Amino acid sequence: MTDERKKIAIAGPRDPSRRHALRCCAMAAAAMFAGTETVLGQPASGQMEDLDILPGRGVNRLDKDIKIVHSVCLGCNARCGNRVVVKEGRLIDVSGNPYHPYNTMGKPADYAVPVLESISYPGSVCGKAKEVSNYVYNPYRILRPLKRAGKRGSGRFESIEWDQLIEEITFGGQNFRHLGEKRRFPGIKDLDSDTPIDPSAPELGPARNGFVFMTGRLQPGRKAFIDRFVKGAVGSINRIGHTDICGLGFRMGNYAFTEGRQVELKADPWAADYILVFGANIYAALQPGVNTYGAIVAKRHSQGRMRFTIVDPRAQEALVHADGWIPIRPGQDGAFAMGMIRWIIEHGAYNLEYLAAPNQKAAWAVGNNAYSNATHLVITDPAHPGKGRFLRMRDIDPGAKGEQAEAFVVLSRDGRSVSFLQVDTARLDVATEVAGPRGRGIKVKTAFRIMKEGVMEHGLDEYARLAGVDRSVIEDTARQFTSYGPRAAVCQYHGAGNYVGGTYAAYAIACLNALVGNVERKGGYMSSGGAASRWKKGVYDLVDFPGRRRTRGVRISREKARYEASSEYRRKKAEGGTGYPASRPWFPFTKGGLSVETLAGIDRGYPYSCKILFTYFFNPLYSIPGGYRFRETLEDADKVPLHVSIDIGVNESNIYADYIIPDVTYAEGQYGWLPPHAPAFRFTGIRTPCIEPLTGRTRDGRPFCLETFLIDIARASGLPGFGKDVIQGHGGHTHDLVRAEDFYLRGFANLAFNANIPKASKQEQAFVEANYPVARFRKILPDGIWKRTCYMLARGGIFKGYEEVFDGTRFRYGIRKVALYNERLATTKDPFNGSPFPGSLRLRLPGILEEGAGNQDEDYPFYLVTHKMNVHTQSRTVWHRWAMEIFPENFVVMNEEDAAELGIGDGDMVRLLSRGNPEGIIGRAKTGNLVRKGCVAVSFHYGHTQLGASRLEVPGGDKVFLGGKRVFDGRYLIPDPALAAGLNPNQVSDLDEVLMRTPMIDPVGGIPDFSTTRVKVLKTDQ
Amino acid sequence: MSAPVISSLHESAIGKTVENRRGFLKKSGMFMLGMTQPVALAANSVKNHPLWTMIIDLNRCMGCQSCVIACKARSRAGRGIFYTRLVERHSDRLPEPKRFFLPVLCNHCKSPRCVSACPSDAITKLENGIVLVDHARCTGSGRCVSACPFGSIQLDPSRGNRAFKCDFCLERIRAGLMPACVEACPSRARLFGDMNRPQGEFAAYLGHEIPQSAGRPGPRVLYVTLRNEVGALLNDGRT
Repeated sequence: MTDERKKIAIAGPRDPSRRHALRCCAMAAAAMFAGTETVLGQPASGQMEDLDILPGRGVNRLDKDIKIVHSVCLGCNARCGNRVVVKEGRLIDVSGNPYHPYNTMGKPADYAVPVLESISYPGSVCGKAKEVSNYVYNPYRILRPLKRAGKRGSGRFESIEWDQLIEEITFGGQNFRHLGEKRRFPGIKDLDSDTPIDPSAPELGPARNGFVFMTGRLQPGRKAFIDRFVKGAVGSINRIGHTDICGLGFRMGNYAFTEGRQVELKADPWAADYILVFGANIYAALQPGVNTYGAIVAKRHSQGRMRFTIVDPRAQEALVHADGWIPIRPGQDGAFAMGMIRWIIEHGAYNLEYLAAPNQKAAWAVGNNAYSNATHLVITDPAHPGKGRFLRMRDIDPGAKGEQAEAFVVLSRDGRSVSFLQVDTARLDVATEVAGPRGRGIKVKTAFRIMKEGVMEHGLDEYARLAGVDRSVIEDTARQFTSYGPRAAVCQYHGAGNYVGGTYAAYAIACLNALVGNVERKGGYMSSGGAASRWKKGVYDLVDFPGRRRTRGVRISREKARYEASSEYRRKKAEGGTGYPASRPWFPFTKGGLSVETLAGIDRGYPYSCKILFTYFFNPLYSIPGGYRFRETLEDADKVPLHVSIDIGVNESNIYADYIIPDVTYAEGQYGWLPPHAPAFRFTGIRTPCIEPLTGRTRDGRPFCLETFLIDIARASGLPGFGKDVIQGHGGHTHDLVRAEDFYLRGFANLAFNANIPKASKQEQAFVEANYPVARFRKILPDGIWKRTCYMLARGGIFKGYEEVFDGTRFRYGIRKVALYNERLATTKDPFNGSPFPGSLRLRLPGILEEGAGNQDEDYPFYLVTHKMNVHTQSRTVWHRWAMEIFPENFVVMNEEDAAELGIGDGDMVRLLSRGNPEGIIGRAKTGNLVRKGCVAVSFHYGHTQLGASRLEVPGGDKVFLGGKRVFDGRYLIPDPALAAGLNPNQVSDLDEVLMRTPMIDPVGGIPDFSTTRVKVLKTDQ
Repeated sequence: MSAPVISSLHESAIGKTVENRRGFLKKSGMFMLGMTQPVALAANSVKNHPLWTMIIDLNRCMGCQSCVIACKARSRAGRGIFYTRLVERHSDRLPEPKRFFLPVLCNHCKSPRCVSACPSDAITKLENGIVLVDHARCTGSGRCVSACPFGSIQLDPSRGNRAFKCDFCLERIRAGLMPACVEACPSRARLFGDMNRPQGEFAAYLGHEIPQSAGRPGPRVLYVTLRNEVGALLNDGRT
């Protein structure tokens, strides 16, 4: 498509009044870029050939005093771009960035279009993005640091001066003696030591690991900064994310499927003919969000270009257009998928050509970037020491050398054992014996055969019974799914696998894609194309610095660590046992980001004790299913000797913190370089501030925020990596890191340099310097690289179009191999009993999930399923005023038949109780046919007790909270009862009765359970 | 599957169903998307002034509330006042449950009841099709509120209790901008244009989905009904 055709006319040629409007805009723009001779691009004349672009849709008025910044939204983590409109320093509006594929249904403006012309281009955003001003200017935001002034959780805080704060957290001390607490609180400096954290278990690493830094909503950019502090400066291994409560289930399935190469793959909505949606809330949540993924599905579906079916216990919004809804029993997505696979195998409906391609070159030839290991031979011989792993050439030919020795073995069509690289097609469904060294036979099976045997262990009727659907539903879905060739794909997300047993459920769902041969192929199951550039090195080295520490040991969550390497195992074995079971689970086979097991580890002091906990932008007590269990953990100074929270408000978790550091919002900072989510695109969105920070300032004028805090702690503690001469630049020059921009601007410089971004024109440079607050720091960069950076900043990042990532049907990026049999999984031992996990699909795991997820419980007859709403993000959008006006509360959504049986009417108040929380929670019932019988559905976002929902005692708080005297009555914060509306389903999630009543988790990946808690529903008068 | 039709909201049917305070409606029978036959061809020829029109394709509407919030962000209307809303309905008359979202706003009717109901002549139907409230004249009698069959006018206590409603973002149109709800709609379920000079996708809808004459000179908000079984049920005209 030419630029000319993509141009947007503000005024049609036949409309003199609108042409006048254009001139006004142009004049205003010229006024705005004072000192430059700028006019907006001329309107396109002639026919609009591209019907996706409507004339004049997206123009923002460029009045005097108006500034415009192209940045990246954080209304949720979907990473759409935004165009923020600022008037006299105040953020007044937001729309979409037309250069960003996520604001344009995947058809962004050409990257070369001058930014001043792009101002007239359209871009959409969702409602969450539009709420940014309600979020940024919320009266309950904190602007100055707080220190606890009563016991933990009392809600009493006081203001503390910045320098005093830095000193107390750096050096520790009896900082709460005035409250009667004689205990000495640790400081960061205490942990700057290489002595073992546990002398009896040196493998756990140094004392540094007593520093645990948990991150909630973290994104690339700040992640690099925090890692520099936690790992590089302090030297702790415990910078732990929250992937588990984000949605680890489907990620674990993909982790197994891709051998750990990639955890996010989705159906390509731009080209698929059919999408089978498993637990992905495509018209309300997902990443990319409703503004992108939902929108393109809705558009293509409306044009008759695709169809889709939803597998979900709840009738999500997308049911409005869906071609089918399968209200499955919660926790049984895996049974449904395995039933489909059984049907597909029995009917020979799989893509033989694709599956028989044994290597990447062969897969490329049939139109895919990724091949499957379906034909690779696995050693199944019980007598062979390699049982469970792939047969390699060295196993049959001891003389094989180098790469050839490690090559996988397949059976050629004439039955010879050959290297997988030697043939372009191999036998698929085989169990046989191959000749090993000295003529000894080795029993082997293909990966496909092993998968098939696991699937065939159960009949379709059994799968249908478990999934709670008719057998014909599985058959029909399998028939439909396989009737589009490789242009059918699965879109699985948080609902698929976010429960105990989720690893294998999501693995089965992922395997459906290999069976139709759609992996890393247009219209198929695709990864993201990744970042468009690299931030780490180039002009500046942002990774290495003098004295940088290397982390050692085991994470407190035990993720990515082998129990068998622990002193505990050796000790137990030496005492005469098997060494098993471990005291708590270990997770050698996981994507990681296990926040639940981090808190469980802190609670149990296992495998070692936490000394200092930092939580960033994180509300675990609210956001973890069963998070209420950790209240007692955070209250206990023996378990958490020091807790520092960095956040924008007082939430349900940091109410227990000793200190709360105010942070900036994404409109004022939270610098970032944001690559796309799956599927398909390749870009790097850039987030820079749109307005100046609203938080207080240090004496040298830096805003109170995450970066200023970490820099000052590091410098006060004498840690490496921060302060003078810590960033290496070109030509041996070194640079300081004393403010956030010292780091991020150099990251931007690397991105622009590595992507070979051209220098901005004078007009574009002037645009950035007149509009972007970050331009205040331009002197950090040499002029030439600043000009390049301007080109990128003006466009809000580095972007490419959809077609650019393909070569024919083949995805140029992404992964190159998927696995129907995962060798590493098959050789990983369950730390509870020492037996290896199954390497391929299996409905039930011996000793762990005999009955599958969600056991029957007569006293608690309902499944509780949870979900996000279209106007909210998990825990922090209760400040979105308009969302709360549209939906003032959430509901206990029930099936009307269930409700009638219990005498519950629409609008009645009901109490939900579980074994984990027998007191229960109360909400309003909404009855109808929008949830499967036997289930109740409750959304997140509501049921807050903090963030303005409760009274706090903060002397002088009107100087701390943004609302000032509006929200303060003397020393008391005035709560807004509207913020407390509704209920939070996580407050009633089941706990694990075997494991010290900590929240339920999947034993393989550490997946928390969001959808199989059993509850009882009682009508109540309250 | 029925052929998609573009139609205006049937006035008598919608009156019963759009009044609600929370965005949810009690289930009280199927919602009807009224007249199935395209509005009759008007005899008037293309005029010099624009005739602003909104097309809402329900086959694209995800119920995501972007339009509602974008409208609110622009209007800054008082608490509980919405110039556009999403009405959600579901039916148990279908073989399996379906969800159904209907964006509702001022229909900018041909002969608006609000205009005749207003005791102070504060509401005008402009030549460009837009029905506009003159707030200098509005006395807050509330007669327009009860006269509107769509529940699309409200008195805003935060603004002198005067009547407020959608004006198609007239100021934005004058500045060459689309209405806020149209700009925000991610899937472009809302299309906006000048019926006398249709362009882009708006024109394509007039050419393909419906006769170009539909809705002229009637209401200025036209709906493309759902193509699926919900649409079929609605097009049967049963309630």
